[in-house]
Amino acid sequence: MHPPISLIWFFLTAGVSIGLFTFTYFMEFLILFGKNTAMPRQAVIISLVISLILIGLGAIGASFHLGHKMRAWKAIKRFHTSWLSREAVFSGVYGFVLFLYGLAYYFNANPFIQHSLGILTFVLGWLSAFSTAMIYASNKFVLEWNTSLTVLYYLNMYLMLGSSAFLSLTYFYRPEFIPTYLFLTFLFVSLGLAFRIAFNIRQFIIPRPTINEALNLPHNRPIRVLDTGTTTNNYCTEEFYYKKGKDLLGSVLPVAYILTFIVPLFLIVYAWITGNYNYNFFKIAFASLVLGSFLERWCFFVEGNHVQNLFYGLYPEEGYRLRKGYMERKKTVIRL
Amino acid sequence: MAQFALVIDLNTCVGCHACATNCKEWNTQAAFGPLSDFDPYGKEPQGVWYNRIMTYEMGEFPNTQVFHLPKSCLHCQDAPCVPVCPTGASYKREQDGIVLVNYDDCIGCKLCSWSCPYGCREFDEADKVMKKCTLCIDRIYDESLPPEHRKPACVLTCPAKARFFGDIEDPNSEVYRVIKERNGFVLFSDAGTNPGNHYLPRTETKVHVDEHLLKHDNPLFLEVLRRHHVGG
Ligand code: SF4
Ligand code: SF4
Ligand code: SF4
Repeated sequence: MHPPISLIWFFLTAGVSIGLFTFTYFMEFLILFGKNTAMPRQAVIISLVISLILIGLGAIGASFHLGHKMRAWKAIKRFHTSWLSREAVFSGVYGFVLFLYGLAYYFNANPFIQHSLGILTFVLGWLSAFSTAMIYASNKFVLEWNTSLTVLYYLNMYLMLGSSAFLSLTYFYRPEFIPTYLFLTFLFVSLGLAFRIAFNIRQFIIPRPTINEALNLPHNRPIRVLDTGTTTNNYCTEEFYYKKGKDLLGSVLPVAYILTFIVPLFLIVYAWITGNYNYNFFKIAFASLVLGSFLERWCFFVEGNHVQNLFYGLYPEEGYRLRKGYMERKKTVIRL
Repeated sequence: MAQFALVIDLNTCVGCHACATNCKEWNTQAAFGPLSDFDPYGKEPQGVWYNRIMTYEMGEFPNTQVFHLPKSCLHCQDAPCVPVCPTGASYKREQDGIVLVNYDDCIGCKLCSWSCPYGCREFDEADKVMKKCTLCIDRIYDESLPPEHRKPACVLTCPAKARFFGDIEDPNSEVYRVIKERNGFVLFSDAGTNPGNHYLPRTETKVHVDEHLLKHDNPLFLEVLRRHHVGG
């Protein structure tokens, strides 16, 4: 699939925004249970402002994906069936309620109002993240994405970005929480690595349809594409098969792995074991995570193969070879 | 419920692209407006077409068969492109099962095209909306046309008469009859989309390749055959 930069941008901005808010509010929430986790006002306000700016920038960036930006509001109309509609509603309302929570916090509103708004923001943020993940995971025709792994992995990435961003706040405002957030970041990055590896391995074992299935013709005969009725690339071949990206994937994927997982894990484990809490480590770990996640999302799109590529002879064939025995046993009606 | 659709006979389709060309012609000029290309007259024309003709070869040499597969929106009965549309711009008409895009509501998010397993929707870079076959809805209901012309442009133009149009749910219709009589099939039957458009299968022709015949016809052809067998 062709990777839309605007959607990758939305992933990063919304991810840091929702992740950061989650940990910021989590610390506030724990106070309710008598825990001494209050962050200084300044830290909370900085974090809320960053979250708000990021979700705003995310929404603006994502609108560049649309053909008609001025009609974007219409995307709320099919909330009952469309995950994209749900994403638009939840992320929009998340931004709005986040703003209200910020005001309530800033003006020291009644704690009940503060916490109600805080919990609501948290829920809306995660519903928005879940809806975004479901846009991909619910697509039956991109088999690489069509799995609950996509959702788990996606939500974990938000936690990964959020905890590593929050690490910087603890460094400046509550250093005694650094080990906790080092651990959380370590946990989420490690889980992310595990999910990523599982995602990659899965691509080799999913049973794939073949061109014979697409054309509903006998399974035991080879079919070749002679002509696709078009002399140049068209929307289908550009959108669903991104040749330049496929060629680059082999080089980009290892870099994405290194930047997203290996570099941050190395720095975090080093800081953790040696107790050397150098701010540069945290800065580099976060920057590496963001840059790596950008590349990782790019790979996620390019790795996705839409089944319509079968008609153009551009679908991976591994599945066919793996499934050959199965395919031949399948009862077929010979029609040609 | 009525389901209007096309039925295409793969025996008679000769892959002449007349349907695709007339489709573009009709839809560029009629009520559905420009069916533009990204760059229609430039070096790299990248086109929006409602109908594309793909050509495939099946079997192993020398027993191969070539067939042409015209592919436009199949007006699926369980169209996956409809529920994913966030604006409701993509919809399926109750009265005749035609799947349409309301260009005034489409925000161009492309999600519907991601959900179509057939690659039957194309984003129009000029109009910034999603487009696809309308089953020539502006022709088939146009009372100013003589009744025999109230058919899709591609059906009227097909020189091989390979295309049929009608209500596949109506037992009295020609399409219903040909699907039943000639074992009509749909693309990607496992995809759960239940397409309206059907295809009529080709009848199998077995070719016995006789070495003498080949040699007599074209001495070089035997050489080609030999090379093919040794994998050269
Ligand atoms: S062929 Fe594709 S675009 Fe047409 S109705 Fe079916 S899913 Fe939708
Ligand atoms: S591109 Fe248009 S028709 Fe397709 S899902 Fe988006 S808004 Fe709906
Ligand atoms: S029915 Fe009309 S719009 Fe559809 S392929 Fe035929 S000519 Fe084109």
